[in-house]
Amino acid sequence: MQLNYNQILEYQADRYPYLFFDKILQVGEGKAIGVKNLTQNEWFFPVHFPGDPCMPGFLQAEALTQVCALNILTMAGNKGKQVLLLSCEKLRLFQKVRPGDVMMLETDLVSYRHGIAKGRGRATVDGKLVCSCEMTFTLSDSEERRALTPKI
Amino acid sequence: MTNLEKYTNVFVETLQVNAEQCEKLKYQGVELWDSVGHMTLVAAIEDVFDIMLDTDDIIDFSSFEKGKEILKKYDIEF
Repeated sequence: MQLNYNQILEYQADRYPYLFFDKILQVGEGKAIGVKNLTQNEWFFPVHFPGDPCMPGFLQAEALTQVCALNILTMAGNKGKQVLLLSCEKLRLFQKVRPGDVMMLETDLVSYRHGIAKGRGRATVDGKLVCSCEMTFTLSDSEERRALTPKI
Repeated sequence: MTNLEKYTNVFVETLQVNAEQCEKLKYQGVELWDSVGHMTLVAAIEDVFDIMLDTDDIIDFSSFEKGKEILKKYDIEF
């Protein structure tokens, strides 16, 4: 399945200026691939850093998490729910991401059990790896997770 | 590292408590052991011991001590 910008807004809760991809080339079967076009107008470039604009590394990890989360958000009953990031591990940043770059965000859903999702992602620009990480996340409103908590 | 040390470390890292606090820990006994923390804890225990807990066991896992009882069913000795 592919998603354009308006469809993305239906499936997930993040909004500009905290939505870090523009379209989804593929989501399904445990894989989601998104695209982020970076323009000079991004809110973080003037402050990170003046005269040397580059995308903050943790926002690259956030972009990968947002794309990976679509693996869950496109499942029946999850459309539009909020995603809570629980951990981000093995974050590696390889080179600066600049205005004008097109970032490809490739993610895999490694597991999804008990309402807890584990994924991994890699971001590339012009085929070169710029960022990779592993992430764990859940839905803020997860019936599955709630049903599995102890009754006291 | 013994199984007890591995088990205790999961609680220490996931719930941000001291090892000395663990024995008396119960679900919702500390702020981080809420519904999200519970599943994070379960996922970490499954990773550390390479097991998959049954649904009933996840629901029954209401304290540090109860968890030790449950894990014995998965041949994890303390």
